[in-house]
Amino acid sequence: MKYSMSGRSRRYGSALEPYLYLLPSLVIFTLFVGIPTLGAVVLSLLSWDGYTAPKFVGLANYVQAFSDPIFWLSLWHNVVLIPYYVLLPAVLGLAPAAVVHHLKLRGSSIFRVGFFLPYIMPGVLIGVVWRWMLNPAFGPVNSLLGLVGIQPLGWLGDFNLALPSVGLIGAWATYGFCYVVFLAGLQKIPQELYEAARIDGASGWQEFLAVTLPGLRGEIAVVIAVNLINALKVFDVIWATTRGGPGRSTSVVVLYMLENAFNINRVGYGSVLGVIIAVLTLGLTLVTLRLFGESSD
Amino acid sequence: MIKKGLIYLALIVGLIVAIGPFIITTLASFKTDIELVQGTFSLPSRWQFENYVTAWTQGGFSRFFINSLIVAVAVVIPSIILSCMSGYAFSRFNFKGARFLFAFLLLGLIVPLQAIVVPLFYVLKTMYMLNSYWGLILPQIALSLSFGTLLLRQAFSSVPRDITEAAIVDGASSWRILWWVLVPLIRPVIGTLGLLFFIWTWNEFLLPFVVTTDPQYQTLPVGLLYFQQRWTTNIPVTAAGATIIYVPLTVIFLIFQRQLIQGLTTGAVKG
Repeated sequence: MKYSMSGRSRRYGSALEPYLYLLPSLVIFTLFVGIPTLGAVVLSLLSWDGYTAPKFVGLANYVQAFSDPIFWLSLWHNVVLIPYYVLLPAVLGLAPAAVVHHLKLRGSSIFRVGFFLPYIMPGVLIGVVWRWMLNPAFGPVNSLLGLVGIQPLGWLGDFNLALPSVGLIGAWATYGFCYVVFLAGLQKIPQELYEAARIDGASGWQEFLAVTLPGLRGEIAVVIAVNLINALKVFDVIWATTRGGPGRSTSVVVLYMLENAFNINRVGYGSVLGVIIAVLTLGLTLVTLRLFGESSD
Repeated sequence: MIKKGLIYLALIVGLIVAIGPFIITTLASFKTDIELVQGTFSLPSRWQFENYVTAWTQGGFSRFFINSLIVAVAVVIPSIILSCMSGYAFSRFNFKGARFLFAFLLLGLIVPLQAIVVPLFYVLKTMYMLNSYWGLILPQIALSLSFGTLLLRQAFSSVPRDITEAAIVDGASSWRILWWVLVPLIRPVIGTLGLLFFIWTWNEFLLPFVVTTDPQYQTLPVGLLYFQQRWTTNIPVTAAGATIIYVPLTVIFLIFQRQLIQGLTTGAVKG
């Protein structure tokens, strides 16, 4: 492309060389990602219990999914989690980032590292830690609330509170990530823009709306896209805290998929849910990046 | 001045919220059951290291820890080598089908594991890889290759052509140029990539959850979960298990925080 490569390839060796470099990667990738991707589509067209001969049923599994109240309920729970996974951490990350940057506060690397710590932890660990934090009988959160006279809450075991609890755990694990992304973005906004705003007599809040927010367009797109996908494919934290319960109050699509495919051996139906997850993930990513213009570099 | 003080106060509250749960969990791991009920924030009257012994031996954490290490090493090193090779092919060679093959390898950035885990289970079953290290390692390598190839293609392309040009004139083979000229030049990128591969592998839950039913092959995240179910009433021992997982991660994070934070925020696009 940039250079005429044909001559060079010959000097490099045979024309087969690039393929040889790619061969091991391609073999492994095809076996464990390529075939399963195709397999998801194929399986979704079958009625199969995983053992006996599969039967081709066309789009019947899809039709069934769209009229399955439990599928819709599970998907609805993913939707309910979106404010907790996307909006809340974005706000909780943006506010301190804007303040730290604006006031040029010192010690910001301590906050950066501290806020970010939960983000590198496995979801199961986060679930185990918070199951203890939110323990209704004698967990730390209820004891703290008790100090200000609030009666102990059921949290993860309460039909109405379980899903918000899971959401709050997600927000807790993510706001440090948002903070770091926004802080890095803020440093790229030219200082002159702020000076110009100040000359125009803009207040701190006006400055934020006119300079900071537009300057973070790309970062906001990335944060929304990443967290939206996380809200859609959440599983680890839920499995470690509520296993979808109590009742079905925290069942999500991935959980329902695994339940179908592995617990009640409806492999074809489970695969449909997998395909739906893939399509939604792809769609949401594209829409977010399109809405916010250019993707961030 | 007061305003600044209040802002610091708010930031410190944010900091306590972020790391407090880990500290409280570790406090719990040193207490007895009874002591725990009496107060969650107090220091233990006697530090119960027994909980760690129980978790490590009876709870099987020694096995889970070794498995996590085996899988992490066996994923990270080959993934780096293969990513170097495929990134190199795409950055320095012009060949038929390059665009298609590149797009294919990037499939892993778009399709999340959650979407393909059911068929993957049957692929592994057909290959007799369930309940084996192979079943944990090979798919994890495959999942790492998309991001690795993308990142290293970019890194290799940023190396000025004159440098490799000189080596070609000297008659070096392409293999030699890759490992002796290019790779040393992008060592920091490879270091960051290795860290990311390590964290992703160490933290992976869904894959070992689906692939292993035998505790013999389970890694820490899956082990912790089964452990929590078995010891559901014994919070101190579960807390000890949780501490065994998060302390090494925290140490690695603190040592490499700059590379990790930068890598994880750019690598976040990986599914």
